[in-house]
Amino acid sequence: MNPIPKIQYHAPITLAGALQLLEELDKAKPIIGGTDLLIAMRQAACTPSHLVDLNRIPELNYITEEEGYIKIGATVTHSQAASNPLIKGVPALYDAVSRIGSPQIRNRGTLTGNIVNASPAADTACPLIVHDAEIVIKSIDDTNIIPVEDLFEGPKINCLEPSELITEIRIPTPVENSTSAYKRIGRRQAFTLSVVSAAAYLQVEENTCVEAGFAFGSVAMTPLRVPEVEEMLKGKELTEENIKEASEAVREYVQPITDVRGTAEYRKDMCPVLMRRAINESLGRMR
Amino acid sequence: MPSLDAACDKREPWEDEVNTMKISFELNGKEVEAETTAYTSLLDMLRDELDVKSVKKGCESGECGACTVLVDGLPMTSCIILAPQAEGRHITTIEGLEHNPLMIDLRQSFIENGAIQCGFCTPGMLISSYALLRDNPHPTPEEVKIGIEGNICRCTGFTKIIEAVLDAAERIAPE
Repeated sequence: MNPIPKIQYHAPITLAGALQLLEELDKAKPIIGGTDLLIAMRQAACTPSHLVDLNRIPELNYITEEEGYIKIGATVTHSQAASNPLIKGVPALYDAVSRIGSPQIRNRGTLTGNIVNASPAADTACPLIVHDAEIVIKSIDDTNIIPVEDLFEGPKINCLEPSELITEIRIPTPVENSTSAYKRIGRRQAFTLSVVSAAAYLQVEENTCVEAGFAFGSVAMTPLRVPEVEEMLKGKELTEENIKEASEAVREYVQPITDVRGTAEYRKDMCPVLMRRAINESLGRMR
Repeated sequence: MPSLDAACDKREPWEDEVNTMKISFELNGKEVEAETTAYTSLLDMLRDELDVKSVKKGCESGECGACTVLVDGLPMTSCIILAPQAEGRHITTIEGLEHNPLMIDLRQSFIENGAIQCGFCTPGMLISSYALLRDNPHPTPEEVKIGIEGNICRCTGFTKIIEAVLDAAERIAPE
């Protein structure tokens, strides 16, 4: 592997300091775990001149519940999330953070880094999307809050300006009768990118689906939410037949490609399978 | 500008400036200082500046686990950590665990179970197994697999390593 290219390193201790550096420095990028960024830099896929390390900023490391949201600070690692009781209450996200990468990656990589990298295979993306999660984007003189799915503009392309930083992921506190799950297929169990993945979110009243969220990874240019399929299940009883009908309909909306990890046909065929597995896992958790 | 790399499409070549910095941190319980650059990996700093050769250089992309060290007690791959990110941290390699009772049992178990062949993955494998048993003294075979999923061994086929970790767990805290 190539050496890490020459960069200048900055380690601010306040968020204001980090935003100032991102505003003023030319070709600066924030770094936290670096589990994607340093590899991209070694492969010359990304060539910043300055790295602004966010790890020394205590105010960015928190998981709290307030104002109806579970709020996750920018530097929270997958391991921190996986061991937090609040994240256990967001089952699909817990599924993702507890098995993403390897222990070494979970101890280093962050949820914000996983989504800002904007891979269509990002494991935390689909769970966050079906839970209607939002991100707080800050720059030196502005704050914006957008849905997680709007961050993704294409494969490895996000909507951020160079001076902008994701400071928080916020998930609406799940309501009592809700449940969710995240399922993936990889070439093997351990430490691998998903060939295809699916997250399901359900709100159930007396076995009738009142709210639904479905999103798929690695089947399009970005993680893909399928509102049309969500509508198909809303108001319906969660019978095997109805679940099957809705999950088969997903084929209409996904546009996977063939790559080293799997063929387009295989990915398309697996979407309904994974959706049913995610739904059944979710329902199993309610009982 | 939408690209992930919007901030850094093409970088001008650097002048030949020397960009060294001093990093101080705790290595295996001792305060150390190393002179290095911001773009040196923790792995290279440990091997080249501080002569810690148990930390192996494999893929340099966080995939193989040969360079695994404990950072503030947690296993991480040192190839994708920048040297200055270690400032003030506690870094532990197998040298620092030489007299640790858990590591002694684990090491002996690796030897007796034939869990070591070429040995290249062994330091990283021991660090991951150590962290696993420290946090979970009675792992199931499935939990052992998850514990070492970030460490690749191309000799043993993993079976003997998994057996060694389970055997060590039995020695350390018999059920």
